Amino acid sequence: MAVNYSVKEEADGHPSGGVGVPGGGAVGGGGGGAVKTRKPDNTAFKQQRLPAWQPILTAGTVLPAFFIIGLIFIPIGIGIFVTSNNIREYEIDYTGTEPSSPCNKCLNVSWDSTTPCTCTINFTLEHSFESNVFMYYGLSNFYQNHRRYVKSRDDSQLNGDNSSLLNPSKECEPYRINEDKPIAPCGAIANSMFNDTLELYRIDNDTRIPITLIKKGIAWWTDKNVKFRNPTGDGNNLTALFQGTTKPVNWPKPVYMLDSEPDNNGFINEDFIVWMRTAALPTFRKLYRLIERKNNLQPTLQAGKYSLDIAYNYPVHSFDGRKRMILSTISWMGGKNPFLGIAYITVGSICFFLGVVLLIIHHKYGNRNTSADIPN
Amino acid sequence: MEYPKLYEPGQLNLLFNKREFFICIAQGIYTSVLMFFIPYGVFADAQSTAAGPEPCRLLPPLRQIGLDTGFWTAINHFFIWGSLAAYFAILFTMHSDGLFQMFPNQFRFVGNAQNTLAQPTVWLTIALTTVVCIVPVVAFRFLKLDLKPELSDTVRARKQKTQHRCMRRVGRAGSRRSGYAFSHQEGFGELIMSGKNMRLSSLAGPVGGAECGLRFGGVWTCSVTKKTKKKKILFPVPGVVGR
Repeated sequence: MAVNYSVKEEADGHPSGGVGVPGGGAVGGGGGGAVKTRKPDNTAFKQQRLPAWQPILTAGTVLPAFFIIGLIFIPIGIGIFVTSNNIREYEIDYTGTEPSSPCNKCLNVSWDSTTPCTCTINFTLEHSFESNVFMYYGLSNFYQNHRRYVKSRDDSQLNGDNSSLLNPSKECEPYRINEDKPIAPCGAIANSMFNDTLELYRIDNDTRIPITLIKKGIAWWTDKNVKFRNPTGDGNNLTALFQGTTKPVNWPKPVYMLDSEPDNNGFINEDFIVWMRTAALPTFRKLYRLIERKNNLQPTLQAGKYSLDIAYNYPVHSFDGRKRMILSTISWMGGKNPFLGIAYITVGSICFFLGVVLLIIHHKYGNRNTSADIPN
Repeated sequence: MEYPKLYEPGQLNLLFNKREFFICIAQGIYTSVLMFFIPYGVFADAQSTAAGPEPCRLLPPLRQIGLDTGFWTAINHFFIWGSLAAYFAILFTMHSDGLFQMFPNQFRFVGNAQNTLAQPTVWLTIALTTVVCIVPVVAFRFLKLDLKPELSDTVRARKQKTQHRCMRRVGRAGSRRSGYAFSHQEGFGELIMSGKNMRLSSLAGPVGGAECGLRFGGVWTCSVTKKTKKKKILFPVPGVVGR
């Protein structure tokens, strides 16, 4: 690049293009005083003189960084892994595909059976469960992430909009209208809501003690109070507010009879809200009930014999799905997740090892070229 | 024109050819695979939705850009940190109550951001993904810099050393760029301002000689070679434009 140093003018930083351009352009531009000069302003921004920070990867920065990352990640990984291992979890698959399972008789139940099918599974807890216990139901091979399924809902209807209540969105097809009446709540997601009932009993010397299962507080606060609202109108009678609509095809009862308590009835029923939050993977679990600890002296669930009573209403056999009940304690990082702990330990060790290797390489082979002359 | 050999990589197409391209592709594949499978592994069993892994997707590319940026001016800072801030601002806006009230069918992710980002697992996954994506790149670059530094890297390192020495004397913060040779390096602004090259007679005398020649584009430049203990300094002397 041609650079013209002129004693009269200040240093002209404007690039004259490629290598072969003569510096004549600069002379012509700066020559006449009456003509408007085309030189760019001599500001820091236009002359590319902005203050800047130049990071260069030197041994002094990279190697300590690797060691520090390794030293931070390994303890975090160990902490996560130990926390995850302390989480107690117990899972029962109650689909009933094996002939020996108590729920085998319910395997071919269909959604419009009038007589409910019940089964009981007895199990034993080896270790006691301290702190609050969460009861989940899990489904496998159930694709809640299918695109048409995920779109099949009407959020303005679920938000209590009265016009959407009687005229649901087209996305809900074919679960939009049934027998000339609009379905509330419409859509395939609502229609396939999980409706098994699970009850837990502790067996203590041949007596069955029911365990209190709490059904409130299982949905997100924003869901229950912002996203899902019952339709508004005169009075609090939900039956009247939902007049003119019909229940989803696969439901046994209409939406305003989901619970006797008014703040868990209708669209704001927490089981319904939990179901409507679609899962990302085909094997998922959803929160069903909470078991709170009574006091600090006793564990929430002692080790011993238990019995699970199931009202088996939800058919999964037709698509080779499976159903499970999971009891789990949780920690600050959620449920049992050994993957994250192992990943952190692995990455931390690799980082540390890499740091050592780079240090050896740098010590032996580096620094050879920095003091060499630069060829011209 | 201090280091004309720095033009060589550009002319010989050394920095962007098929090999470099495939290395870029391989690194892209590696990063994408990691950015999918690490959040998949972490959230496989949970009931959270996709709002968890989303920030994981954003941070490694930003870090990569940060690494690639050799010269951080205020503009770079603004755009990189600004992108991050804009992402989170948009995320929270999309998941806010206000937008949901207005357009329930379009913005139905209300509450997602507040609920998922409050879980420490999400942040730990983000940190893990970022580190795993960046560490190989940094290691590889450091090795390359250490064992086979390119000419531009050596010049840059040397310039930083001299600039640090100058800074300690002059007391100026940061480095000043002027648009010469390769536009990301400090040019001759400092040199001219300090007046070191103005005293031709003192330099030409006992230490070295001056060679004048016709360089590119018909500019006469005289270069004075001055051998010091450690390095050669070449600087063109103010010359007259010749035709």
